[in-house]
Amino acid sequence: MNPLIALMVVIPIACALILNLFHTKERTVKIIAIVVALALPIIPLVTSYGLHYFGAYSTLAQSPTLAQGLPGFITGSALNLFHMGIVYSFQSAQQLFIFIIGLIAFLAILTSLSEIKKASGVYAYLMFMGVAAVTAVLLSDDIFNLYVFFEIAAIAQVGIVIASKIKGNYETALKYMIIGSIASPLMLLGIALLLGVTGNVNITDIAYSLKNGLVNPQNPVLLMACGLIVFGWMYGSGLPPFHTIKSALYSKALPHGAAMLQAFSVFTLVAIGIIILRIFSYLSFSHVFIIAISLAAMIFSITMALMQTDIKRIIGYLAVGELGYIGLGLGIGTAFSITAGLFQAVNEAIVTAFLFIGFGTILYKTRESDIRKLGGMMVEMPKVALLVLLAGLAMAGVPPFNIFQSKLMLIQASLNAGIPELGIIMILLSIVTFMTFMKAFYAVYMRPKPRDLEIKNTNIPKATIFSMVVFLIVCIILGLFPQIATGLLQGLANSLI
Amino acid sequence: MSLYDIIINRIKKVQTQGEEEEPVTSIDASSTLAAEITLLSSLLVAAIMLRFFSNALMIIAVLLVIAIAVFAMPIMPKLKREQNDSLNGMVFYVILALGIVTVLFYWGSLNV
Repeated sequence: MNPLIALMVVIPIACALILNLFHTKERTVKIIAIVVALALPIIPLVTSYGLHYFGAYSTLAQSPTLAQGLPGFITGSALNLFHMGIVYSFQSAQQLFIFIIGLIAFLAILTSLSEIKKASGVYAYLMFMGVAAVTAVLLSDDIFNLYVFFEIAAIAQVGIVIASKIKGNYETALKYMIIGSIASPLMLLGIALLLGVTGNVNITDIAYSLKNGLVNPQNPVLLMACGLIVFGWMYGSGLPPFHTIKSALYSKALPHGAAMLQAFSVFTLVAIGIIILRIFSYLSFSHVFIIAISLAAMIFSITMALMQTDIKRIIGYLAVGELGYIGLGLGIGTAFSITAGLFQAVNEAIVTAFLFIGFGTILYKTRESDIRKLGGMMVEMPKVALLVLLAGLAMAGVPPFNIFQSKLMLIQASLNAGIPELGIIMILLSIVTFMTFMKAFYAVYMRPKPRDLEIKNTNIPKATIFSMVVFLIVCIILGLFPQIATGLLQGLANSLI
Repeated sequence: MSLYDIIINRIKKVQTQGEEEEPVTSIDASSTLAAEITLLSSLLVAAIMLRFFSNALMIIAVLLVIAIAVFAMPIMPKLKREQNDSLNGMVFYVILALGIVTVLFYWGSLNV
């Protein structure tokens, strides 16, 4: 038992509730938000690996006192090995994911508090609640508990968009909720079917039941459950056909909010993708489907990004397209490809947050995000332009940045698996990603300034520059020393095959 | 309203939108062309992966993509119209995807 594991979820929730109570006291909100946000990436670093049992009970096999006196048909069966309550599992991979989401949350909250004139307790509440929910999704070994936090994360995302005060935000948030009201209950139905067939909601126990023949793995109800859970996964992550609404959601949030939203999507994709592999990897079709839907996400999102004229929508579509790389890593299904996919998830979350906050400076200075109405920003803020250029190079997979390493690993994994076509498509779409970014960069920074463009005569907050520099440093460190991340992810990848 | 009516109305709506196409700038045109080439080349390479299931299926899929490239270009403006922010369109594709996913998982898991 390790109480710090539960605190990774409890602290942001408690902070969110406190911030909501003090929402009128600006200074208090700022102090509490920054202190707790700073703690978010630190807690996973000081927490030791292990399991946390809510209710303090593990399994009967590990609790002889409880097992004493129980009839033999319980202690002598698989029930002896099943978990009695909700279990949170914290291993090296979760440590890295929660550290990264904590770091993004800290920098996004820091940026938001410096860019927004009046600190909003409600906005900070939603950000912390989202972080808590996604952290729980990453930790939980209980599929129903995971669903509850999956829903909280979805509501927090809608709330962040509503609180953003951007034209059209209410409409987009409402659409996301309506679409969520179709997809989420179906995912819950999938979980209910899984519970009905296996009699269990603990993911380890479900996988044990399927592997050891306690349940017929070819039961049609299980196949239906798998389909519905995959459908919920597509919704939570923004894979097609949800890529349109997901990119719209990013574009209707403030840049720091969008940085958080994309991190939520990336880690939701990872968390539920891992669960799909843990439970349904015996179905070879699940791998085929994950590869197909990931390819669709990459092709449709990256080509759609080329067609957009709004910077935030361009980055939104590119972010959804990059999710496909993660999916490919999971779908290929070798230990190396899964490690590469998980590494890509870490890198993508950092680089996309970097880009959202970087291009957010344009919105801060001009209140404009349409590239047709922008130009000349290189003269206005050359240092920021350089940082944004480096972020774009990182996203495209240019060395020595982190995404170069993960994309290279993914291409190697596809070649090793005998599917060179995937490698070709990944290279092709990386080139197009770079082209899309350069189109936006040229239009915003290098083209002459349009006469009617009004630029605010205020400096970019130092906190924003600081956030971008931290992201850049992380990109370079992970690019030069990828083993820092891959070493932490290999254990999880090996356990999934 | 039956599913057939929904599909027919949807097709009519897309065709009507197609007639109201606005003129495009040179940046839009080059972006569309690049997206078009990317889409077709990616689909063509992806179609080759069908060789894992059946060579005949792969040949049919490749010929289909080539036929689309010849007869249906430009695809991207139509695809962009289809992937717009209309709630009706999104819900249509979500429900269509749900049907495809559930059918594929049942059929695919028993046959792949």
